[in-house]
Amino acid sequence: MMNAQLVGLSREVALRRELDVIANNLANMNTTGFQAERVAFEDYLMPRAEASAFQHRDHDVAFVQDWATYRDTQPGAREMTGNELDVALSPGGYLTVETPQGIRYTRDGALQIDDQGQLVTHSGHPVISLGGTPILFTPADADITITGNGQITTNAGGRGTLQLVSFPSEQALEKIGANLFAAPEVADPDPSVRLTQGVLETSNVQPVREMSRMVEVQRAYEMQSNMMRQSDQMRQEAIRLLGRLS
Amino acid sequence: MQALYIASTGMMAQETNVEVISNNIANMRTAGFKKQRAEFQDLLYQNLRRVGAETSEQGTILPSGVQIGSGVMTAATPRIMSQGSIQPTDKELDMAISGDGFFQIQLPDGGTAYTRAGTFERDATGTLVTADGFTVEPGITIPENARGLAIGVDGTVTAVLGTGGAATTIGQVQLARFINQSGLQAIGDNLFMETASSGAPVTGNPGDEGFGSVRQGYIELANVNSVTEISDLIAAQRAYEMNARVVRAADEMLSNTSQMMR
Repeated sequence: MMNAQLVGLSREVALRRELDVIANNLANMNTTGFQAERVAFEDYLMPRAEASAFQHRDHDVAFVQDWATYRDTQPGAREMTGNELDVALSPGGYLTVETPQGIRYTRDGALQIDDQGQLVTHSGHPVISLGGTPILFTPADADITITGNGQITTNAGGRGTLQLVSFPSEQALEKIGANLFAAPEVADPDPSVRLTQGVLETSNVQPVREMSRMVEVQRAYEMQSNMMRQSDQMRQEAIRLLGRLS
Repeated sequence: MQALYIASTGMMAQETNVEVISNNIANMRTAGFKKQRAEFQDLLYQNLRRVGAETSEQGTILPSGVQIGSGVMTAATPRIMSQGSIQPTDKELDMAISGDGFFQIQLPDGGTAYTRAGTFERDATGTLVTADGFTVEPGITIPENARGLAIGVDGTVTAVLGTGGAATTIGQVQLARFINQSGLQAIGDNLFMETASSGAPVTGNPGDEGFGSVRQGYIELANVNSVTEISDLIAAQRAYEMNARVVRAADEMLSNTSQMMR
């Protein structure tokens, strides 16, 4: 009798998590290089609550659980900014960033130069070159050009090549916030990754999709709570009728 | 119900975005103004099922985990230091910098500020000052009897003094540049201050390697592009609206929960 309530509860928990994911996607609608997340559910069979020795065996009870959030790796829209330190990467490509916690990867190509002349992300982490060293500029450098394969030149000569990488499985990357990803292992440079200077990749969140999914989640939740209320009433009724002592 | 808080970070970020855009639009006609852009970052993630965790004793691993984000934050509002368009004014003391560099301005408290707005005047003593009366460094004093004031692209200020026809050099405009121009701190009045992240200024004459040249009789307009600002404003407003809608959805789900048992 309680099963309906408990299955309903598992569904409600899953729906709440899904709303959290949708809210995070919508909150990051304007975050450069952000990739939307989706939730995958799977059923979880109540393992051994069955009594198969009876003539008519029990029904299996299946609970729902959120099994994975996976990233939508489609490229976002390209926004022309004209800023010489903005780069947009081809799908699947990442910039390599050095952080105090180790090597991290990002698709956010809004780069800056810090007081030391290093090329950094806007959190101040150096973006590293093919040789694994930071890219340094001098105050006399002007007219920065970044070619499609990441080679950086200024009017005073070459300044190194950005280390562009790709991964066999993008889903294995872990988001750690601040537009950064941690990888299970260090990635090798991939010459097939291209970039465009003066362009930023906007997030690939599709508002229509998120909004309609949100409405769906909300209604499913409503339905679920109605169902739980009804099964509760049913139980009340049963207690009232069956429990009567005459 | 985390969605409530996640959506509120989204609303806050879009509010900042609208503030930045409205400041850009408000300063569309401010000489030497450099537009800003709000940059966002996602916040920390909560790992409910960690990616790469083992799923069996045979060593199979999760190909992707369950990660729930916690929203967005404004990471920075860097200034876009691109060249603004140059407009002729026919005013002999107006100067525009074409290329990199800033005019150096002495503040009343003795500090030095930097500006791209070359709308200069002369004060009662003939000194070159900004519209607010702050001295331009290095000081240039224009004698009372100066005629035919000319400022070369290299910053040399010449004028005809007295009755003769020959021009005399009476000063030199110098520019300063920074390794990280976006790291300058704006203090209002079109002025910027040096910060730890901008690096120390390097001074030089206009036209030197890496420095822009000076155009007399022109001013540099703001580098704000009205079309992109308006389309950014529309996008920001809609994003705000959608985040507000998530708050309402979360609220309705909570109210369903509370009405479940009556």
